[in-house]
Order: sequence, then structure tokens, then C-alpha cells
Amino acid sequence: MSRSYKRSFAVTTALLPTWIAVIVIYVGTMLWSIRLSFTDSTLFPSSNYVGLSQYAKLFATPKWWAALQNVAIFGVLYVLGCLVVGFLLAAALDRKIRFESVFRTIFLYPYAMSFVVTGLIWQWMMNPTFGIQASVRAFGWQDFSFDWVVNPNLAIYAVVIAGIWQGAGLVMVIALAGMRGIETEQWRAAQIDGVPACRIYLSIILPQLGPALAAAGMLLALGVIKTYDLIVAMTNGGPGYATEVPAKFIMDSLFQRQNLGLATAGATVLVLTVIAVVAPFRYAVHMRARRREGA
Amino acid sequence: MSNHIRPNGPKPSRLTPERIGIYVFLIAAALFFLLPLFVMLATSLKTMDEVRLGQIFELPRQFDIGAWSTAWSGACQGIECVGVRSGFWNSVKITVPAVTLSVFLGALNGYALSFWRSSSSRILFALLMAGGLIPYQIFLYPLVRIMANLELYNSLAGIVLVHVIFGLPLVTLLFRNYFVNIPEELCRAARVDGAGFWRIFFEIMLPLSTPMIVVASLFQFTGIWNDFLLGLVFAGRDNLPMTVQLNNIVNTTMGERAYNVNMAATILTALVPLAIYFFSGRWFVRGIAAGAVKG
Amino acid sequence: MKNAMKLLLAGAALAALLAPANADDKPKAEVMTSWTSGGEAAALNIIRSEFEKRGGEWEDSSIAGFGAADAAFQNRIVAGDPPTAKQVVIGLDPAEFIKQGLMNPIDDVAAAGKWADVLPKTIYDFISHDGKVFLSPTGAHGESWMFYSKEAFEKAGIASEPKSWDEFFAAMDKLKAAGILPIAWGGQAWQETKVFNMILLSQAGIDGFLKIYVDKDTSPASMEAIKKTLTILGRMRAYVDEGAPGRNWNDATAMVITAKAGVQFMGDWAKGEFTVAGKVPGKDYGCMILPESEGMVFIADSFDYPKTGDASQDKAQKLLAEVVMDPEVQVAFSIKKGSIPMRTDVDKSQLDACSQKGLELMSAGKIVPDQAIILTPQQAGALADYVDAFWSNPSANVDEEVAKFPSIFQ
Repeated sequence: MSRSYKRSFAVTTALLPTWIAVIVIYVGTMLWSIRLSFTDSTLFPSSNYVGLSQYAKLFATPKWWAALQNVAIFGVLYVLGCLVVGFLLAAALDRKIRFESVFRTIFLYPYAMSFVVTGLIWQWMMNPTFGIQASVRAFGWQDFSFDWVVNPNLAIYAVVIAGIWQGAGLVMVIALAGMRGIETEQWRAAQIDGVPACRIYLSIILPQLGPALAAAGMLLALGVIKTYDLIVAMTNGGPGYATEVPAKFIMDSLFQRQNLGLATAGATVLVLTVIAVVAPFRYAVHMRARRREGA
Repeated sequence: MSNHIRPNGPKPSRLTPERIGIYVFLIAAALFFLLPLFVMLATSLKTMDEVRLGQIFELPRQFDIGAWSTAWSGACQGIECVGVRSGFWNSVKITVPAVTLSVFLGALNGYALSFWRSSSSRILFALLMAGGLIPYQIFLYPLVRIMANLELYNSLAGIVLVHVIFGLPLVTLLFRNYFVNIPEELCRAARVDGAGFWRIFFEIMLPLSTPMIVVASLFQFTGIWNDFLLGLVFAGRDNLPMTVQLNNIVNTTMGERAYNVNMAATILTALVPLAIYFFSGRWFVRGIAAGAVKG
Repeated sequence: MKNAMKLLLAGAALAALLAPANADDKPKAEVMTSWTSGGEAAALNIIRSEFEKRGGEWEDSSIAGFGAADAAFQNRIVAGDPPTAKQVVIGLDPAEFIKQGLMNPIDDVAAAGKWADVLPKTIYDFISHDGKVFLSPTGAHGESWMFYSKEAFEKAGIASEPKSWDEFFAAMDKLKAAGILPIAWGGQAWQETKVFNMILLSQAGIDGFLKIYVDKDTSPASMEAIKKTLTILGRMRAYVDEGAPGRNWNDATAMVITAKAGVQFMGDWAKGEFTVAGKVPGKDYGCMILPESEGMVFIADSFDYPKTGDASQDKAQKLLAEVVMDPEVQVAFSIKKGSIPMRTDVDKSQLDACSQKGLELMSAGKIVPDQAIILTPQQAGALADYVDAFWSNPSANVDEEVAKFPSIFQ
């Protein structure tokens, strides 16, 4: 028996558990969901096909539209916010700071907290009647206002703040690690030229950190579309539909509202949206890698 | 790949305005990150009468640790009033094998996908990434049926398997990105020497990937420890993790709420991941610096 | 899917028949509820200890939060491994499970205990499906209550309970003038929906309320009642504080307890919070049915009994159904839970002033069911969305919103 045959057998064996998981769980469930989204299933799956009427119902629901819009706003601001804050923290920590490890631990610890806890605490802190607003006013600044979490137009941004609090530390670690990997000669050269530190970070370090930051962004983005716990704990989707997100919409339909058909229609739309957003991006990366290999 | 963790930046000289600025920024940021922890601690040490006054930023008038002992060993979840204590070992029993298994599989996948590429493995990776983006709530229903058919429903093995399945996308992504940066010659040379797929993995790649193993384990540990929904649905009543007990204490619709106990229970539940981050924070940064997370 | 389920159940039933019946076996029940807080658990314990006294063995599987408990229960059913009994709100929520043939009827227990005679007819109808009894009710909660702080009312110079909505808003103005927050508002969709229903009952009356929710009537009279309700609800926005959105009901109750706020609209479970804080009904705080209301909205808890295919559990189900409906258990349970007994023939003397008022209305049949009882879960959810969206948008046009109301029932 040839060695290459043996090898490909080994590769297949190694990947077998993952193949089974992917086919049975991921692909299987997706197909199952898509099939149910064409039925009138309520609490249990039914095989009474109703065409696209679940989708029609879904898109006639203002709450679903609000959910899509909110997750887009949240996703963009959360990922960008974490990247910016994380980078700034890393840049500051990179400047030979005393107690660096203490600061680093402080910035990273929220990442170990569950979203449920994060949501609850921030809900308290942002509550205008006993949170930050009330405390600042008690100090004498009567006009101070910080009512984002209860303001339908701003509530989603309040959620973004809580999200950044939780996720920025991760970016900080990744960026800091990246900065430490940059050769010191570049630094010396730039310093001799008298370039100010902040310019060095922006024009020399930031571009080199590109891939690391992209990876961090990807890690954060993986969680965005699944955002559920944070919302439930912090605002439960309110006020009104101001912070409703698709994962919560699906979850509510699935269990509390006993509406399997609508839930699976929502999930299908979500998956298609993700593929529509991610596929061109992945394709571009793939093509670029190919071109590079070819060159 | 350099493993030095020394800061870049110029040597700290005198206190220039720039350095004062950096410290002010860092301290302000640290306060922002610590504020929620302060509120949790302060609340957990207050009596309910004091909590009802709603001054969340004030120190307790007198320190009362009653809430802590209640949370650990006396808080009711339903009829049994045993606090979060009883779930602690369950969480350990779920988390440790699930982390070990998923990190091992992730490393194996990452290795196979980076060094033994084929068109089928590319498809596998794409499907895995797509699966990683779907809100997992939608998987619950079919997965429950699958688990029931395998007679793994409501068992420790079942919940561990579920965590491994849902951990695969993230861990595989991490290891694939790590191995992609390892020179292919290393693998090729070993192959020429006659080493097979498994020998290369166990003798070369696995030892090489220690930093990544640390990072992936930390990610997985946090995620699995903090999980609530999967534990609730799949673990069975003898294996319910700590988070389910936390939910039973914190989350009640019509009953009274003891916020001081809630906060103490919350901190107790978060203690293990917090401790792990605290003690392995240095390794975490080192792991990432060693190229664990790069584009 | 349905067939597979039937097959599964048939197989389970067969297995049960073949299993040797062991008379010494204690009937064992795994009971799933969402009652986890102090008062709730104490109430559940009443049932448990009586169940155990009568020879049963109890396994508690309580999970906090309706959503979490429902998710866990549905998944257990799907896996073919249901608990022995599940606490559930009577009405359309359990109906789907019963229709699918997943539940055991408890007809013989109901017949032996003459449930038809001792339960209000409305309740008896709701626990029966196709002429068979499936649910054993534990107690009802009145949901048309306005709790008020006597201290706050005194300070503001409000002499008596408001009899009409005009008087109500006049009283609110007085509270405002006295520097007291008029309404302690819990800005969560489910709480807002309860207030909506309370007001609707005061405007539509019992028949009108049932016409709207049961017959899905959209006649001008019904729409007029919706309009009046939304108008009153909208007026309340001026009397709440900015911290209201997302507030838990018990935090709102705490504001009334400390006399920071004047009134709160809530179900009678709020009494538990007052009691814990050492406040006495009629002395420190008052409870009144909403102005202009001829009756009370109610919600009722019960147990239902999934088919487990296990003879010992079948026995346990019958025993539990019996225990739950025991007159003494009903009273003791209600005192702990702050609810009203379901049986009309129990000893009222131990109940507090508020519960007695509620029981009177109940016995007189002056009650209408909560939306969770008469609407499908999907419709009930849509109603909550509807009310929440209206409340959160102060510039909402009442006429436009009224026109949207019928879409809830689609």
C-alpha cells in the first residue's frame, strides 16, 4: 500500500469527527430549519407546507426589521469600538508603564465575565434614577444627563458601551502582543528623526498590526450575530423595540411564542444574510492569496 | 518569532507632560473598567434595606457578609436552598473535559487543514465557519432529538459533546491561523524523513503550539463556564452547571429579588474564570505574542 | 414527526403495561416549576410536604424564568423524557401539548373530588379539553390591583381612593405637586400589557373584554374601548419617571414601600414584597381594584401531567393532582404565594384583606382571564409587542394605533 494512500487515510480519520459534526449538526440543522420555515409549525414541527407565508409574516413584523437594524448598528460600533479602545490601551501600556500587569489585568478581566453579568451591572449603572446620572447630579451638576439606556433612540448605544467594556481587553492583549513583536530598529530610526510618539503609533505601528487587529475583529464579529445574553440581561430588547436583536427574536418565537415556523424563517434569513456578507469577503481573501501564490 | 515581552517606547525619563497624559488616560480607563466590579462588590456587602435606597456607588454603611454565605450555601433555587455551591463541581466536570477535547480536536483540525490541504478540507472549513455564525438557539430542537436517539440526552457525556461541537468553529479557526504561519518546510522535511500524519502532529506540531493551546483553552474555558442555555437543556438535573443555579437565584419573574445575594452569587460564579485570567494572564499575552492570533 | 412521536408514546405505553407493577413502590414525581424565589418556593413546599406525607417521593426540577423553564420542558418532551408534572398557566399555553396527545388526563381524580362543583365554572372550563380534565389548578392571581402608599397619599392630601379615572388623574396631580413620583412604573413589556388589560377591563366591562379577546371582535364598540384604554394609558406617561424603562416590578414596589412613589399597578404577588418589608395591608399600604372596574383580570397556575409511560409516575400524577386540590393545601399555598385559592369552598378567615376582596370577585364570577389564558402564545407575544411599542413612543397617534390592534390576532 502506498504511503500517500496511508496518509490521506490518516487525514480523513483525523477530520472525521469534525465532518460528522458539520454534516449532522450544522448542515443537517440548517436544512431542517429551512424546511420548517415553509411550514405552519407552531409548538412541534408540522408538515403542512404554507409556502413563503412565514417569510411574509416575518417581514411584515416591525420588530424583525428593528432587530436587523439594531444588530447592524451594534455589530459595527461594537467591533470598531473594541478595536479603537483596545488599540489605545495597548499603545498606552506599551510606553514603559509602571504596574503594567496590574493595568493589563484590569482591562482584561471583563472578558472573563459572562454577558449576563455584564448586562445586569450596566443596566444598573446607566439607570438614570440611581446610576451614574443620579450620582453626578448628587455631586451638584444638576443638568448632567446620561439616560441612554432608557431612551429609545440611544439605548442601542448604551448596549454598545457595555459590549466594549467587555471586549476591549481582548483587543488590547492582541494589539499589545503585536506591538511587542515589532522590531525595535524601526523605533530607533523614527525616534532619531524626531517623529512624535503618537505619529509613530499611527503611521508605523498601526499598519503592521493590521492582520492581528483583523483577527481580533473576526473573533468579536463571530459573537455579534449571536448577541442574545447581553441584550436580555441589560434591556430585554427595550425600550419598545429599541434594542431587539434577531437572536432574541428567534429565541422568543421558538419557546415563549411556540412559533417554530416563524423562528426558523428568521434563522434562515439570518444565515442567508451572513453568507451574503461573508462570502464575497472570503472570496476576495481567497483570490488574493491565490494571486500571491501564483506570483 | 520573538518571545520578548519588553515594551517598545523610549526609556522612561522624567515626568514629561506626555507621560502624565498617558497615566491620566490609563487611570481613567482603569476606573471605567473597575466601576462595575466596585458596584457588584459594594452591593453584595450591603443589607437589602440599604440596597433599596438605590445608592449604588456608595460604600456599604456596615459590611455585611450575610449575602455571601447565603449565595454560596443558602440561597434557594426552588425548594432546595443550597446556594450555588452544588453546581460548582458540575461546572468543573463539564468544563474540563469539554475544553480538553475541543482544544485537541481544534488543534488536529487546524493542523490537517493547514498542512494537508485538499478541496474537501476547504469545504469543511467554510461550512464550519458558516456554522459558527448561526445563533445556536436554532440548533437546540434537532440536537435534542439527536442526543435522545444516541441516549446521551441529560448526561454528562451529552453536554460535553454539545460544548465540543459548538466550540469547534472558534478553536479550529484559531489553530488554523496559527499553523498557517508555521513554515511549511518544517512539515515537508519531516515527511521526507518518513514521519506520518500522526507522528508529525504529536511530535512536532503539538509541542510547537503550546502558546496557542493556552489561548484556545482560555477562550473555551470562559465560554463553557459561562454558558447557561446549553447546560440547562442538555446536562440533566444531576449535572446542572453553576450558571443554571445562578439563574435560578437571580432570575425570577414574580418572586422577590435579593440583589445583594444576586451580586454575591454572580461574583462567586465568575470567580473561577477570573482567577484563571488573573494567574495565566501573562501566558495569555505570551501566547498571543507568539503569533497565536494573527490574520 | 407526529407519527414518530405517536410510535414513541405507544412503545412507552406498551413498556409500561409489561413492566411488573410493584405495589410497594413509592409513587415518584419529578416536578418542574418556575417557582424559585423565597415566597414561591415556600408555597411549593406546602404541596411537596403534603405529597410526601401521603406517601409520594418528590424530585424538584425548578428553573427560574418562564422562558427558561418552558425551553427546558419543551426540549424534555422532544427528547421523550418529560418530567412527571409541570407547572403551567392555564389556558392556551398547555393546549398545544394536550392536542398533540402528550398529556395524561386526570378525569378520575377530578370526578372523585367533585371539582366541577367546587371550582368557578370559568376555571373548570379552562382546565378541561374535549370534556376531559387535564390540569389541576393551584391558585389564581388577581391582576387588576392598584397598590398605593398610605403615607404618600396622606402627604399629598388625597383623602379617599379614586373612584373614576378623572379622580385618579387628579390624585396623581396632587402627588406630583407634593413632590412625590405619582406612578411607580415597571417598564417591561409584560408589565405594561397587564396595565393595558386592567384599563381595558375598566373601559370595556367584562362582556366587552371577552368579546375582544375571545371572539376577536373588531366592532366599533370594541375599538372605542381600545381607544379609551390607549388614551388613559397614554396619559400615564406624564406621571412616570425616566428610570422606568426595563424596571423590574419589585423595584417599582420598593418605591411604593418607601413612599417615594404613590401607586403601582400590579398583580397581587406584589403583596409579598410589602410583607417582606414589614408592611401591613390596609395600614401601611392600600390595595384597590382599578377605578371604574366591575371585575378583575386573573391568571391561574396549575400543574399538567405529561405521559411518561411509567406506572409509578402515573400514580404519582394522580396523587399530586389530589394534593394540589386539597382545601387546606389550597389555602396554605395561597397564603405563601400571595394568591387566591381556586376552590370557592375554603376557609377565608386566614386570608388578608386584599385576597378576600379578590376571592369575593372570583366567587361572584366577576373575573376575566389574562391574555396568556385566552390568546395563543404567538398572539400574546404580539399583544405585548403592541402595547410596548405604544407605550415607548410618546408621539404615537392613538387613532392609528387603534387601527393596528386587530393585527395582533393574525
